[in-house]
Amino acid sequence: MRILIVEDDAQLARGVVSLLRAAGHAIDHVANGEDALSVAATEPYSLVILDVGLPDIDGFEVLARLRARGDRVQVLMLTARDGLDDRVRGLDLGADDYLRKPFDVEELEARVRALGRRRGGDAAPEMRIGAMTINRSTGRVEVGTRPIELRRREWAVLEALAARAGQIVSRETLQAEVFGFDDPVGSNALEVNVTRLRSKLAPDGPAIRTVRGVGYMLDRS
Amino acid sequence: MKPGDDRAGKTDPMGGRPGGRAGSVSLRLRLGIAMLGPLAIAALALGLFGWALISDVVRRTNDRVLGGALGAIAETVEVERGEVTLDLPPAAFGMLENAERDNVYYRIAVGRELLTGYADLPAPDIATLSTEEPRFRYAEYRGQRIRIGEVRRDLPRVSGPVVVQVAETLDNRNALRRRLMTALLVGEMVLVGVALALIRPALGWSLRPLAELRAAIEARDTRAAPDLSPLQTGPLPAELQPLSRSFDRLLTRLDDATTATRRFTADASHQMRTPLSVLKLQVALARRGSDDALREIDEATDRLERLLTQLLTLARADEAGTLPPLEQVDLVEVSRRTISRRIRQAIEADVELLLDDEQDAAFHVQGHRSLVYEMLSNLVDNAIRYNRPGGKVTIALRKDEANVHLIVSDDGPGIPAELRAQAMSRFARLQGENGPSGSGLGLAIVQSSAERLGAGLALEDAAPGLRVIVTFPA
Repeated sequence: MRILIVEDDAQLARGVVSLLRAAGHAIDHVANGEDALSVAATEPYSLVILDVGLPDIDGFEVLARLRARGDRVQVLMLTARDGLDDRVRGLDLGADDYLRKPFDVEELEARVRALGRRRGGDAAPEMRIGAMTINRSTGRVEVGTRPIELRRREWAVLEALAARAGQIVSRETLQAEVFGFDDPVGSNALEVNVTRLRSKLAPDGPAIRTVRGVGYMLDRS
Repeated sequence: MKPGDDRAGKTDPMGGRPGGRAGSVSLRLRLGIAMLGPLAIAALALGLFGWALISDVVRRTNDRVLGGALGAIAETVEVERGEVTLDLPPAAFGMLENAERDNVYYRIAVGRELLTGYADLPAPDIATLSTEEPRFRYAEYRGQRIRIGEVRRDLPRVSGPVVVQVAETLDNRNALRRRLMTALLVGEMVLVGVALALIRPALGWSLRPLAELRAAIEARDTRAAPDLSPLQTGPLPAELQPLSRSFDRLLTRLDDATTATRRFTADASHQMRTPLSVLKLQVALARRGSDDALREIDEATDRLERLLTQLLTLARADEAGTLPPLEQVDLVEVSRRTISRRIRQAIEADVELLLDDEQDAAFHVQGHRSLVYEMLSNLVDNAIRYNRPGGKVTIALRKDEANVHLIVSDDGPGIPAELRAQAMSRFARLQGENGPSGSGLGLAIVQSSAERLGAGLALEDAAPGLRVIVTFPA
């Protein structure tokens, strides 16, 4: 999924970016609150990882402004502060989750996964579409009993489509959810990944339909 | 006061534990001593004054009676056919009768010639004797002290002046005086006794506000987070108000110090968390075989180390304790040491580091070498860190009549004028696009050190870059 990391510490941001990229997510990074607000307005992020201590406007303010303009993107607050007040304040402002520095990598990954699952309205890790089972915690995909090996982009495409199985997902949306700003994207990169994913799921898995001029749709059965 | 707290309550409200601390004198004893001396002196003075007054009154009243008797006798002295006659009135002697059975003597003489009475009663000096007012005097008669009242009458056709004398022994006067003195002394003793006896309850009562104050202070003595707000007591007597105010001031200062420490600790731990997060993250990535992880771990460790050093330096610069005496600090030497400490860092950052010290001039200031060194070291560290590749960092030394200036300038982006004040606050990190990972403590250390050194600190635009000027009094 597409994740925005708002963190002013360049080194920490580098680490989180490479960690989450390795997990198959499309990551963008900004170092201050104003930038975060402007990119979040245009890009379809599934999750914003938001540091509280930012050099311009703090994370609480960013969160408040996001919610004020009706943005319902999932927000995971990162803070270096100890106080319970901060946690309560963040959650009250509409944060979906909260992680205190220094955090365990596994915990960050698990929370990111959990928030990703919640996006489809279903927090259970296992998702079943036709003969296909997707475990969004482990990243394991099976069709029947046959395990499917996916590259991270293919996983991102599948995740994005599965969250809206039975609905058409526009090309632009899919493109934006799968690739970050910095990803070197060829003009047909999305096409290539969809095609590869489609062939890996065939023949017994759910079909990925191309709706010409509109987008793609994962069959429910 | 807590019930069952035997430190309070059982003893009196002034806290005068029996014995108290060795060498201390209880307030009661002090007050007792302080009151007893003056009381004794006052009692003695009152006694002496009373003695004089009583003696005078006793003498006057008895003299008046003696004078009455004298007058009654003198009135009966008459001249009949050239002869002096008198008729001793019994009432006159009745006046002089009293419980002490004083002896009464009299003598009436014409010139030196005895008319009647006790011939050997000491004769007066007739020449000075008045005819109007009787004269009184003490004398010895028959082995006893007596009081003599005497008057002179000049009668016509008589050879000499008639002298009338009446005398009495002093037993009644003495007895009366003794009674009055006894009454006075008993009164005084009762007064002193009551005063001394009242010390204890009076002290207890007067010191009750002190006990309240103590209770208010003791209430603060808890193991839980100490409450450093001003004391809550009822209205205190004027004498205790300065004490309460001083205590409140102390509390306020303590509160400020505690708050500062708490904030510093919170800030410090807050600052440690980010590099620690990086460490944990990169260690996890290293386990998963990331190539960059070791380099990142290395960098994070450096950051942590630098942060710790800076925190310690700042804590030291902040320390309110006593500094060693001022010493002569050679700024040229300190600058050279700083450059050799920072040169590797400068080379790695591709920044040129140079000293501009006006050949052969000496730059000495009064200060503390280690503080100057840490301050300059942090300034140079900042200047290197926030510079551009190929840039320069210059340490310049200048002086005028009044001051010595230590100037560090860089070729970095500088700090906009409106952000300069903010830059000096703790943990302030100004926004920079993927800027270096600073701790935000550098300028705070510089400012704190400058303050302790009594030096001025100014940030200026070096166009491009930042110029920091530390001004020492020469």
